[in-house]
Amino acid sequence: MSENVQAASAAGAQVARSGEGRDVAAGRGAGNAGRGSGGQVAAASAKRASQGGRGLTVGIAVGAVLTVAGIALWVMQLTGGMVQTGMRNLDSWGAYITMFMFFVGLSAGGLIISSVPKAFGMKGFGGISKVAVWTSICCTVAAIAFVVVDLGQPLRLWELFAYSNLGSPLMWDIIVLFVYLVLSVVYLWAQVRHEAGKVSAAALRVVSVVALVCAVLVHSVTAWIFGLQQAHEFWHTALLGPWFVSSALVCGTALVLVVCVALRAAGYLKLEQANVARLAKMLGAFVVVDLYFFGCDLLTSAFPGGSGAEVVGMLVSGPLAPFFWAEVVLCVLAAVVCFVPPLRKNGLVVAALVAAILAIFCKRVQLLVGGFQIPNLDMPGAMTEHTVTNWQAGMAGAYEGLVYAPTMLEVGVVLGVLGLACLLLFAGLKFLPLRPAEDEAAQ
Amino acid sequence: MAAKRYGFAIDTRRCIGCSTCVVGCKLENYVPDGTFWNRVLTDGGAREDTPAGNYPNLSMVQFTVNCQHCENPACVKVCPVGATYKDPETGVVRQDYDKCIGCRMCMAACPYTGVRSFNWEEPSYSVEVRYGGQDVPTHQKHVVEKCTMCWHRLARGENPACVDICPARARFWGDLDDPESEVSKLVHDREYMQLLPEKGTKPSVYYLV
Repeated sequence: MSENVQAASAAGAQVARSGEGRDVAAGRGAGNAGRGSGGQVAAASAKRASQGGRGLTVGIAVGAVLTVAGIALWVMQLTGGMVQTGMRNLDSWGAYITMFMFFVGLSAGGLIISSVPKAFGMKGFGGISKVAVWTSICCTVAAIAFVVVDLGQPLRLWELFAYSNLGSPLMWDIIVLFVYLVLSVVYLWAQVRHEAGKVSAAALRVVSVVALVCAVLVHSVTAWIFGLQQAHEFWHTALLGPWFVSSALVCGTALVLVVCVALRAAGYLKLEQANVARLAKMLGAFVVVDLYFFGCDLLTSAFPGGSGAEVVGMLVSGPLAPFFWAEVVLCVLAAVVCFVPPLRKNGLVVAALVAAILAIFCKRVQLLVGGFQIPNLDMPGAMTEHTVTNWQAGMAGAYEGLVYAPTMLEVGVVLGVLGLACLLLFAGLKFLPLRPAEDEAAQ
Repeated sequence: MAAKRYGFAIDTRRCIGCSTCVVGCKLENYVPDGTFWNRVLTDGGAREDTPAGNYPNLSMVQFTVNCQHCENPACVKVCPVGATYKDPETGVVRQDYDKCIGCRMCMAACPYTGVRSFNWEEPSYSVEVRYGGQDVPTHQKHVVEKCTMCWHRLARGENPACVDICPARARFWGDLDDPESEVSKLVHDREYMQLLPEKGTKPSVYYLV
């Protein structure tokens, strides 16, 4: 992979100008630290990076502060009661489960980008494999954290292992998520050991195949938490599993590419422009597949004209329309940039990546809030402050706008978990041997 | 003896929508402020207790809706720790407050909007005196709860409180698997409807029409 050495530093600089603010600043420090010396062993580079890298240190500090603030707010939520959140009986899940879905999706890309080439013996995407898997691990941890902060009784988590109901999709998801997390760590470790000559290529390939299967499972099972519920028309579709996989590929690939382009700009790693283009084309394909699935689902719902048409109405012209149209427009823009070669310039590619991630976030909001937006029993009855978020408006009024909106406390806890993910990401970049071994060797 | 299937038959032609069963349930089960396990829903106008249509062509039916104690309960399948379960002897869908981890998966899975409630804060009461059934389990913060079919009263051989308290004598309770029971006869003799039969949950509440 000596061609990586030639990776266009001009292109990197261009990205830096296009404003990847904190990431770039954070990475640059580490890059400088790494560049200052030469070595063969990846572990040594981590040691050196940890000596300098003020940008990364700032990133770690910011992540840590956010995490601590988030924990404080979570304790507030537990002591003062979840009445401080926007969730209520008729919209019993909110921002946390939205973010859980979103982060499970984000975690996909890294592992898949890294493992598919190894599993099928194809040409990889340069030296980004380890950084990609680390991104996955950080997102998985964040996803698990989002489930934990959503629980009313987190101290009873041990019961999941003592009284497991193996028929529950939630239980499947907990099992698969844990296996996924452990496998990702094993896979990362195997790559590091492989580079050190301690793990054979065949063994690494086996691990990558298992990890890949688990990645597909984790998205399908997350989809089944929703898709197997006949209670909600919008969720109850066989397409939800494959659709979650395609959405995960969109936002996961985009996230890894954003991180890697930023790290390249900062000089942390080398990434050939050809590989950026290949990944961008793949992303474009994923976006189109995701949109196609959405189209299939909308048509199947709307065509019979019954309650399914109500779901489509809610998305296209109802309370969720802003999220629906934002998703469609952002997806189309991302696909156009990814597919038209003259547009695949660094600034635009980064914009397309961010657009793809935002589009999938909009989709997650539609899925979660949309699931609760149409009540099965909409007859008016007694309402209290625990019934529904906007309970004073009565049964009909509560559903006129979005049925659920998060409170500041929820936003704070969400930021805390995001902080935790950043803390892990930056700490990993600083202390783990994630830089491509070849880059190190070349310097 | 074979397992029972306890259920309700509610005569919507007798029900006057007075909410006595709603309040009776709340008192008997010492249900915290802000929560109702049983509610009157009006199938009629835009607001509670108002008819649809224009005089003289008006229509209004009151549905008292609590946990439907389904034969095929969606909530039981999804609970990761088995905190909500179906009692094999009686078919009553039960909730173990001590076991519930507060994930609210059952609330998302239940098609019957609003029959499950979560204690979003420490249970509080407008009245200082502890009232209601003395053998009702203590309510807990951050767990899901719902109609227990007055499990504590059934244990004493009594009817659920909502049945005994109904001033219009519109509520009937019994074993739907026993052809000689009052509920079975009513369901056999009268026309009835069920809520959301298309969801396949096989509810144990029959609304006589």
